[in-house]
Amino acid sequence: MSEQSVVLRRQGLGSVFQALVPYIVAVIASFAAAGIVLAVMGFNVPRAYATILFTSFRTPNGIIQTLIKFVPLVLQALAFTIPLAAGKFNIGGEGQLIAGAIGATTVGIMLAGWPAPLLLPLVLLGGIVMGALWILLPAWLLYRFSINEILTTVLMNFVAFELIDYVATNIWPDPVAGHPTTIPIGAGGFLPRLIQQPPLHAGLLIAIFIAILVYFYTDHTSAGYELVATGANARASRVYGINVRNIFFLSLLLGGAIAGLSGAIEVAGVHHRLIAGIQSNFLLLGLIIGLIAKGNHLAVPFVAFFIAVLEVGASAMQRTLMIPGEMVFIVEAFILLFVLLSDVVRRR
Amino acid sequence: MKQVSPPLLQLQGISKSFGPLLALKDVNLTIQHREIHGLLGGNGAGKTTLMNVLFGLYKPNAGQVILRGQTIHIQSPRDAIHHGIGMVHQHFLQVPHFTVVQNIVLGSRLHNRPTLNLTRATERIQDLCQRFGLEADPNAHIIDLPMGVRQRVEILKALYRGVDVLILDEPTTNLTPQEVDSLFESLQRMVAEGMSVVFITHKLREVMQVCDTISVLRAGEHQLTLPRTQVSEELIVRTMVGSDIDLDESILFAATAPQESSSSRTGPPVLDVQGLTLTAESNTPQVDDVSLQVHAGEIVGIAGVAGNGQQELLEAVLGIRTADRGQIRFQNEELGHCSTRDRLRRGIAYVPEDRVQDGILPTATIAQNSILGVHDRPPYSQHGILKWPIITQHAQHLIAEYHIQTQGAGQQAGNLSGGNLQRLILARALAQPIQLLILHNPTSGLDIPTVEQIYRQIRQRRQEGLAVLLVSDDLDELMLLSDRIAVLYRGALVGHLQQKDFDKYEIGRMMSGVYNHV
Ligand SMILES: Nc1ncnc2c1ncn2[C@@H]1O[C@H](COP(=O)(O)OP(=O)(O)O)[C@@H](O)[C@H]1O
Ligand SMILES: [Mg+2]
Repeated sequence: MSEQSVVLRRQGLGSVFQALVPYIVAVIASFAAAGIVLAVMGFNVPRAYATILFTSFRTPNGIIQTLIKFVPLVLQALAFTIPLAAGKFNIGGEGQLIAGAIGATTVGIMLAGWPAPLLLPLVLLGGIVMGALWILLPAWLLYRFSINEILTTVLMNFVAFELIDYVATNIWPDPVAGHPTTIPIGAGGFLPRLIQQPPLHAGLLIAIFIAILVYFYTDHTSAGYELVATGANARASRVYGINVRNIFFLSLLLGGAIAGLSGAIEVAGVHHRLIAGIQSNFLLLGLIIGLIAKGNHLAVPFVAFFIAVLEVGASAMQRTLMIPGEMVFIVEAFILLFVLLSDVVRRR
Repeated sequence: MKQVSPPLLQLQGISKSFGPLLALKDVNLTIQHREIHGLLGGNGAGKTTLMNVLFGLYKPNAGQVILRGQTIHIQSPRDAIHHGIGMVHQHFLQVPHFTVVQNIVLGSRLHNRPTLNLTRATERIQDLCQRFGLEADPNAHIIDLPMGVRQRVEILKALYRGVDVLILDEPTTNLTPQEVDSLFESLQRMVAEGMSVVFITHKLREVMQVCDTISVLRAGEHQLTLPRTQVSEELIVRTMVGSDIDLDESILFAATAPQESSSSRTGPPVLDVQGLTLTAESNTPQVDDVSLQVHAGEIVGIAGVAGNGQQELLEAVLGIRTADRGQIRFQNEELGHCSTRDRLRRGIAYVPEDRVQDGILPTATIAQNSILGVHDRPPYSQHGILKWPIITQHAQHLIAEYHIQTQGAGQQAGNLSGGNLQRLILARALAQPIQLLILHNPTSGLDIPTVEQIYRQIRQRRQEGLAVLLVSDDLDELMLLSDRIAVLYRGALVGHLQQKDFDKYEIGRMMSGVYNHV
């Protein structure tokens, strides 16, 4: 958490590099381990890895694909790591993303004629509010009855899956689409493009802004201090005057709001409508990112970017080399495993 | 040719560093067959680290372990136990809702794993209890047992695995005098059966009472190893503390009685508690109609056997628990429904008994810990923004002034040894402008120089007009520091003595509930 960043701030580049060593080792080891599997399966390992690592940087399209992927990944990771800082687990990021996407779509369709300066903020706000609402029940159950939030946030995901199907097939269905999809939202609700061709939406700036804001909040404000303190030792925090139940509640709500925002951005920036499956596998990747970063909010954006590179590379590998993209999932899992292992090694 | 049998265990040239901190420097230690070997040293001396190396928890940077003349390589506690080395940690972990037997067999090889029939295990444990005089009901649940029995369970766990060498890390910290005596008896029986015991402590008396051989560590270096019969208390104390404290100026070893408090005790009390009652889910009150005053410039001690409502009383005063009845006034203002935060803000500081659970954020840095409870006040934060340079400076100041041994303010607080942790917690409390200091067992488990330092601080603050409420299980401590002592028994204050009337046996009687209603 933030103690790492304090150390980083105070000890300069040498120790930044030292902190990175286990990560570098973990990445190399993961690729080596997965490479063995690929080789056994008879694939061309160097070509596969070249594709995974360099697709993102070879073409403008690759870069932009990566950046577009980065947005939901970093936001999902933050939706997980903010409650994590307080010692709570939000495993409902995809439900909140869907809820946020539904909120954004609802606003975007119902107010379709409104001008962009009004509609766009309302669309994003619709996402934020719905995301927060989606976690409200788990947060309240935790606050009131100390019911474990892991279970309740996961369960809310399933409710969201049903709801998105219902909205996309019954309320505003797009009759020509072959897949549960709504009609588009009003053009005023589209996120502006930073680059026209290939298209890159302004959600990237929002995501970066949020990531900076969260880092500042957890590491540089007294309210964020209470969050980190509660996560480090809730009992001692209470003894020293922190209202930890409020903190738990608030941290979950913040996580939900950010996940909801990620849904709104997917709608307003990428699809311009609600599509069943909009959540992709962002939740799982978000958890992996948050855990690899060990909840350090300075590291989360960088890890998210790296995972986005791998993801984009994975789809390219699948297209050009016919290697299942899931291989990259294995690599990511290995990285997580090795990073966690490096902790064990260092402790001895 | 005459064959000299090698010693049981030899540690040779052990060095261990944590980053730049050299915790052990080329330490040699020899454990003979059939002896109780006392390992004595100040806090942070490296006793725990040395034994953790032996037990396979830490990998040493250099050195070797020789068992019965053979070099052995211990990579993990499993290896250690395989070689017949067992350890009872100072802060051991048990499964609270398991029975004693279940806790003991946990992680050991079971003969009938499929059925989990523990009858044979239970019989063996009962046999061990008998043989070594370690009284414990194998079918009791850990959660229902007092600390002394839990510790016996931990010892039984090692014995059950058939160890030849038993390491006990500060085993007497949480025990009553009677429990300490019975532990020593058990240790002697173990030695009689051919085992050896390494007994880590900082308490001189205990070592002199029970050990055959005494070794002293200081600052990671081995100072001496001698048979008990060849050492004097004075030699040991001097070896332990080095030149850290002046024995003639010592509070702890003072020959004369403490000076009378200078407070005239006129004017209203700083803390005025009236009829405070706190009832738990059960019907017996945890705090029973307690009334008590603390004036500026006095130390009021509260004696009692642990678990008689001490923590509940203090937490009610601090607003961590809500009292059912009663009044708490602080500097003439009713605290009523004030939150804990408000109470702290008004000038109360609290040093809780359980340093790790209640006192610190273990995974956070010392800097972060140094502002816990004052993190929302200037100068540490302004308009909600933390001022890290000021906080870091503040932490560095505390580290220097209170001699906290650490690599710096950026270190994790959880890695501090007990005494350094307590210095940090006390430093944090005293760094603020306060009118009332509440202390709960402020020196338990700490070594002599630290105790001295803490006593000095408390005395000095009392002299400067601070009101101090000192709750302690240690009667010697209370009698040394307090101006008055009240005795807590089953949540109620049952007696009250002025300094001139202090009498150990009298207080002891009140502590066990035998008292005269006045
Ligand atoms: N895991 C650790 N990481 C860093 N420093 C440690 C660790 N364990 C102990 N230390 C440091 O090593 C020194 C010796 O500690 P310890 O062996 O616990 O002392 P003792 O048991 O004699 O009180 C202390 O300065 C302590 O802060
Ligand atoms: Mg120790």
